[in-house]
Amino acid sequence: MNTKIRLLLSLIALVMLVSVPVLAQDDTITFISTQFNVVEEGERARAILAGFEGGTVEFVGSEEGPMIDLLRAEAQSGQGVQDVVGALHGTFPTLASEDLLFDLTDLLAEIEAEYDVADAYVELGRMGTDDYQYYIPWMQATFTMAAHNDALQYLPEGVDVNALTWEQLAEWAENMYNETGEAKLGLPVAGLFHRFLQGYLFPSFTGGMVTRFNSADAVEMMRFLRDDLWPYVNPQSISYEFMNEPLLSGEVLVAFDHVARLKPAFDEQPENFIAFPAPAGPAGRGFMPVIAGLGIPFTTSDPEAAEAVIRFMLMPETQAQVLTELGFYPVIAGVDESSLPEGAARQAAAVAAQATAEDAIPSLLPVGLGARGGEINQIFRNAFTRIVIDGEDIQTALDAEAATLQTLLNETGAACWAPDPASEGPCQLESSGM
Amino acid sequence: MQRAKWTPYLLLLPSLIYLAIFFLYPMTQAFQLAFTREGQSLNLRAEAAADSAVTGNLALQTEVRVIERQQIDEVLPNGATRPIFWYYVSGTDANGSTVEGWVNQRSVFIENRRTSETARVTSGEAVREWTFDHLNRMLTDFRFGTAVSTTLLLMVLIIPAQFVLAIIMALVLQSQIRGSSLFLYIYAIPLGISDLVAGILWFAIFTQRGFLNSLLVSAGFLDLPFIFIQADHMAWMITIIVLAEIWRATSIVMVIVVSGLQAIPRDYLEAGEVFGAGLWQRLRYIILPLLKPSLQVALILRTILAFQVFAVVIAITGGDIVTVLSNETFRWYDPGRFNNPSVAAVYAGFIMIISLAISLFYMRAVRSQEESVKAA
Repeated sequence: MNTKIRLLLSLIALVMLVSVPVLAQDDTITFISTQFNVVEEGERARAILAGFEGGTVEFVGSEEGPMIDLLRAEAQSGQGVQDVVGALHGTFPTLASEDLLFDLTDLLAEIEAEYDVADAYVELGRMGTDDYQYYIPWMQATFTMAAHNDALQYLPEGVDVNALTWEQLAEWAENMYNETGEAKLGLPVAGLFHRFLQGYLFPSFTGGMVTRFNSADAVEMMRFLRDDLWPYVNPQSISYEFMNEPLLSGEVLVAFDHVARLKPAFDEQPENFIAFPAPAGPAGRGFMPVIAGLGIPFTTSDPEAAEAVIRFMLMPETQAQVLTELGFYPVIAGVDESSLPEGAARQAAAVAAQATAEDAIPSLLPVGLGARGGEINQIFRNAFTRIVIDGEDIQTALDAEAATLQTLLNETGAACWAPDPASEGPCQLESSGM
Repeated sequence: MQRAKWTPYLLLLPSLIYLAIFFLYPMTQAFQLAFTREGQSLNLRAEAAADSAVTGNLALQTEVRVIERQQIDEVLPNGATRPIFWYYVSGTDANGSTVEGWVNQRSVFIENRRTSETARVTSGEAVREWTFDHLNRMLTDFRFGTAVSTTLLLMVLIIPAQFVLAIIMALVLQSQIRGSSLFLYIYAIPLGISDLVAGILWFAIFTQRGFLNSLLVSAGFLDLPFIFIQADHMAWMITIIVLAEIWRATSIVMVIVVSGLQAIPRDYLEAGEVFGAGLWQRLRYIILPLLKPSLQVALILRTILAFQVFAVVIAITGGDIVTVLSNETFRWYDPGRFNNPSVAAVYAGFIMIISLAISLFYMRAVRSQEESVKAA
C-alpha cells in the first residue's frame, strides 16, 4: 500500500532536486542519496551530518532513477552540484558503466590506514576491476526473522530458534495456525519479497541463486513453499510491504523482512520482540548482505570537501550513530555497539549470528545487470506468482522464467556472482529451459 | 476578405500549438519508444579522440585485445585532474572481419586500466532500428491476459452501477426537497479525495484488523477476523475495488448528469405531467432521452478513467496478485522493476487504442439512436 506514497515522495524529492541549484551555496556540500529518502529517515541523516565540521552538508534524498538522470545530465554539462553520491551497490554499475565517478583508491588507502574496512565490500566497490575504486563501502544491512514473544510457545519442541531449518519454520507456522486459528507467519510479498527468494530460499535449497534456478532442488524448494509453508502464511501477506506494521498490530507473530523495516517494531516494543537468523535448508543458511556505498561524481564542485564527508561517514562514531538512528550496520571494524538501545541490540545480535553461522551462504545482490537490475527481481517474483498463487506446474513455470533469466544474463553480459560459482563471460544456468 | 479567410485558423492556432506540444509530440515519442530498439554498436576511431574518423565498429559484449593505451590527464573545472584512458583495440566485428581502432575507457570493461590485455565492449553509440520485440514481450507476458480481463471486469461492474447511482443522486438534488443542497455537499466529499487516499481508506476498512472486522468481531458475528484481502478471495478483492471506485468517482458522473438535467426545459416535464405521466414514465420518455448527450460525455469520460484505475488497486491488493493495465504499464516503466519504457509505451498505446475504440463505439451507438428518434 505504500507504493503510491513512495511515488509521491519521489516526486517531492524531484522537486527538491530541481530546486537544489537555487538553494545550494558555494560552501555547502551536496550529498545525494537513494538511502534515507523517506522524510523521517532523511531528517535523522541530516542530524548526523550536522556533526560534520568541514562545512555544511545538504542531504538530498532521491529515488534511484531521478538521481542517475541528474548525474548523467551533470556529466554532460561538465559541471555539477552533487558532491557525494550514496546508493546501494546495485546502483553503481550504471554509474560506473557511464564513467561518472572518480577513482577513490587513494581515499580508501587513507581511510584504511585508520580503520579496517570490510574487504569483501571493498572488492565489491571495485566492480570487478582491480584498480578502480568506484565506491567506498558506507554501511550494510540484511534481512532477518523477527517474532513476537507470544509466538515462542508454539515453537516445536526442542527447536533452537537461532538455528532454525525451513522445515521447522513451516512446522512452527503450522502450530500457530492450528492453535490460534489464524496464519501468523508474515512475508512482505508487496515489499522486498524478491530478496527472500533470491538470497534466502534459493541459496538454502539449491546452493546458488541463478545457476540452479530450475534444478530439481529448486522444484523441491517451490513445492515446499507452495505446500508446506504458504498455507500457514497470513494470506494478507500479498499486500504487506513493511512487516513492522502487521507485527505491531498483531496480525502476524513471526515475520521476515529487511532489518530497517523491522526496526520500528523493535524501537516501539523492544521487550516484546526477538530477532533471529533466517532458517537453513539442505544446502545451508542463505542470507543476503545489502551494501551501500559512497562515490564522488567527477563533476563535483569541491572534490576535497566531498572526500572529507566520506571520511566523516566512515568514522566509528558516525557508523555507530547510523546504526542506532537508521538501522544500518557498520562496514568498519571496531565500532562500539555496547550503548545500543535494547531493540537495536537484539537485532544486531541476530545479524551477527546470521552472518557468522557455520552453514552461512552469503548471497550477493545481483551484480552486473546495469540498468536492468530490477528485471531479475520480477523474474523471481513471477516464478512465485505463477507457481504458488496461480498454481502452474512447477517445472514448466521455472523453465519459462529460466529462459527469460538466461536471456537477461546474456544480453547484459553479467558474470555469475556469489553464491554461484564464478564464470568467464555471461553467467550460464545449468539448464536454460529453452 | 483575405483576412476573414485566415481568421478561423488564427483562432485555432493556440489550441493547435497546445495539442502539438502536449499531445502530438509525446505521442510520437511514445510510438518511437514502442516500436524501435536502441541497439548499440561501438565505433572504433583512427585516433584517441571522440571526433576522429571511424575505422570500424563492434557489437556489445565483444571481447577485444588491447594493443596499446594512452593516458590523457583531463583537468576538470573543479581543479582536479582525472586520467582518461584510450585503448587501441582489435576485435572481430559482426561480419567476421578483424577491425582495429581507438576506444574511450567508458565504452569497455577492463580489469586493470594500466596492465590488462583484454577488454569487453560494454557501450557504444545508439543505433535505432524498428522492432516488434516490445509488442511481443507485452503479449507474451503472463500478466497481460489477467490485466486485460481484470480491467474490463472492473469497467463492466463499475460503470453501470455508477450511472444508476449518479442519476438517482442527480434526481434527488433536482427534486428540491428540503435540504437537498446538503446532499450536494455530502456527495461531493469523495471528489476532494485522491484515488490513493480512497484506496487506503477502503483498505483500512477491509484489512484483517480493519474497521469492519473489528466491528464484526466485537459485535459477536465472527470469532476471528475474516481475511477479505487474499489470493484465494479474488471476488472479495474485486468487490472492495469496485466499492472504492464507486464511492470515489460516482460524483464526477453526477456533476455531469446534474448539468444535463438543468438543461432540460421545465415545460417538457410539466407537459408530461399534464398528460398524466408518472415519475417512471417521465424518467423513461423525457429525462433519459434528453440526457443522452450528457450521458454520452460522462460515459466516455468514465470509460477512459476506468482504463486508468491504478492507485486504488495498488492500495487495496498490493498490485502483484490483482493487476490492471495501468499497473502493468508502471511495472514495466518503474526504474526499480523492469526499467523498460519501451514495453510501457506499448502498454500505453494499447490502453489508448481500446479507449479510442470504445469511445467511437459510444458515439456511434448514441448518434444512431438520436437519428432514429428524428426519423420517427
